[in-house]
Amino acid sequence: MNGKADIAEKSLFEKVVDFVDERVGLKTIQAKMLNEPVPGGSRWAYVFGSCLLFIFIMQAITGILLMFYYVPSTDHAYASTQYIIHEVDYGWFLLSYHFWGSSAMVVMVYAHMSQVFLWGAYKKPRELIWLVGLALFGLVMAFGFTGYLLPWDQRAYWATVVGVEIMDKTPLIGDFLSRFLKGGPTPGQMTLSRFFVIHVMILPAALMGLAGLHLFLFRKAGPAGPFRGTPEELKAKTDYFFPRQVWKDIVAMATVFLIVCTLAFIEPVTLLEEATPDPGDYHPEPEWYFLFLFQMLRLKVFSGEFGQFLGAVAIPGAFLAFLAALPFIDRSPERNIFKRPVALIGWIVVMTGILVFTVSAIINREFLE
Amino acid sequence: MQPKITAKARCADREVGRISKVIVDPLSHEVSHVVVKEANGQGYERQVPVREIQQVVNEEEILLRCTAADFQQFPVLKRDEYVTIKDVEIAHLEDRLHVEPGEVLVPFPKLERDVPRRTFFANMTQAIGALIALPLVYPVLKYLMKPMYRPFDNSWFSVGNVQKIKKEGIGYQFKFIRGLKEAFMPEQKIEKNVWVVKATPEIQQAVYGGKDKKFYDEKGNVIWVNKATAPYIGYSGKCPHLGCGYKWRRTKNFPDGVFLCPCHLSIYDAAGRVLDGPAPRPLDVLPMKVDAAGEIKVIDIEYKAGVKDQIRLL
Repeated sequence: MNGKADIAEKSLFEKVVDFVDERVGLKTIQAKMLNEPVPGGSRWAYVFGSCLLFIFIMQAITGILLMFYYVPSTDHAYASTQYIIHEVDYGWFLLSYHFWGSSAMVVMVYAHMSQVFLWGAYKKPRELIWLVGLALFGLVMAFGFTGYLLPWDQRAYWATVVGVEIMDKTPLIGDFLSRFLKGGPTPGQMTLSRFFVIHVMILPAALMGLAGLHLFLFRKAGPAGPFRGTPEELKAKTDYFFPRQVWKDIVAMATVFLIVCTLAFIEPVTLLEEATPDPGDYHPEPEWYFLFLFQMLRLKVFSGEFGQFLGAVAIPGAFLAFLAALPFIDRSPERNIFKRPVALIGWIVVMTGILVFTVSAIINREFLE
Repeated sequence: MQPKITAKARCADREVGRISKVIVDPLSHEVSHVVVKEANGQGYERQVPVREIQQVVNEEEILLRCTAADFQQFPVLKRDEYVTIKDVEIAHLEDRLHVEPGEVLVPFPKLERDVPRRTFFANMTQAIGALIALPLVYPVLKYLMKPMYRPFDNSWFSVGNVQKIKKEGIGYQFKFIRGLKEAFMPEQKIEKNVWVVKATPEIQQAVYGGKDKKFYDEKGNVIWVNKATAPYIGYSGKCPHLGCGYKWRRTKNFPDGVFLCPCHLSIYDAAGRVLDGPAPRPLDVLPMKVDAAGEIKVIDIEYKAGVKDQIRLL
């Protein structure tokens, strides 16, 4: 090869790329990032994780934009949110996108966890990915809970009052935890300040760190691939992460984007009255993804002090602990969901339970009118 | 033992070439083929499945099962059907594969050979890190805890006049505005409410059990006593279940009216007793006085929701 001629033919851009590559190892990084074989080939079932990343990035962007006008104080939070909705150009859209984006995030988390569960992808050697994923699930819920207070309307205030009272029922640390979150005995400015800093600083930092770890561990273990098929069949269908999986991912992201935009247009955010410790005619209710828990606490079995501890803390806590222990309990290497009847039935029961409780909470609204 | 790349490949009758590459199965992480570059002829690189290796003689030589003539039948390597492992990300491949042309060594620095010293520096690093972090724990905790525990507010608020209540044994809501000064914020007016019931003797008995009710400050001193015979009883507007606001409602099952909380559907009678729903204790009676003109005043006490006992928060 004629070295001199070769250099002469390179464009300035290529030279810059070569310069950086020599120092950073860009091409290797790119190859390692994109050329990851997906056993059994790319699939639509694998898009949920990438979608979550996309939704998070959009939440971060819209969230930062909202902070240009939002003021986290009890005498300005409501007014500044109204200003965003009614005065700032496209403010209503960015706020509504952020609002519906949070719902999309929760839906996608359920989809992602379900896919991983049904595909048996939490099993050895992927236990840690599953555990970090559960922590990320907790963060997503915490995002929803803390963000809900910020507009400081009645809906926001009462969801927080009840939510914090529920945390108060945690044994030993409950009282400290709820006072710590409220920044006092009752919700007020300190609560808003705390929820704000948790929502815009602590949770995003934690989520970025843990999501990074989640991806690193995922790459370390490699994709699990389909739950059936011989090695020969899998090998025959194998392709790289780029471009086929990336293509499916971007189509899914675009779909999510369109749905969230549509929801923001059809059902833009409107505020209720400004928050005050008198609920007036408002019937307090949490955001829809907490409705099933809310409805559960209406049951007679969860009445009284112990019942409340059971329904609000012990059962959700035990369920999460069970999910965390799952890869260590379920050690059979069988990943085919159709050969794991307990897992399949369990998943159906949990999902149906959540659905039934959510729907009955919605039906209960009519009864209260 | 593992043959080196460059090891000679021999058939039973003669040497045919040298190993030039190996091919790995990306799923099993096992070597599937060795590529042997012909010593003579066209110098083709041929793909030999590992099962054709009869014996690894030593690191420098392998023995194939086939004859030299059969060797010519192995397919020629199509280089463009493969990529090097630097171009792809295959998890854990490095851990399983040891195809190196021998061990590659670099000198171990002299200073690093003294294990106790290395350990000493490692431990000191940890210790200094702890010395930086630990003194911060207490101040940071105190900093964050500053507003968490506030003294109780025992001031009286006027909420309305008893003349508005026409009937005994029904709940009547008085809304009132109270000032709240929080930390650095200017004093804010917040809306609150209290439910007042004109008590029948039966209700008085149910609420007080014939005994006066005492209210305490944080030191345990009595700040007020509600007389068991007081004609009006005031309940905190905060539901003792999980802190929502309840309402007075007439329903099909309770045509005379009950207190109903829309959140988790706790139901209380006019004496505050739990009739149905998840509430762990009756409604909270507030310290209340009515002056000669009928003006009601209350101390705006809040108790912790969701527990059997009244634990005062405010």
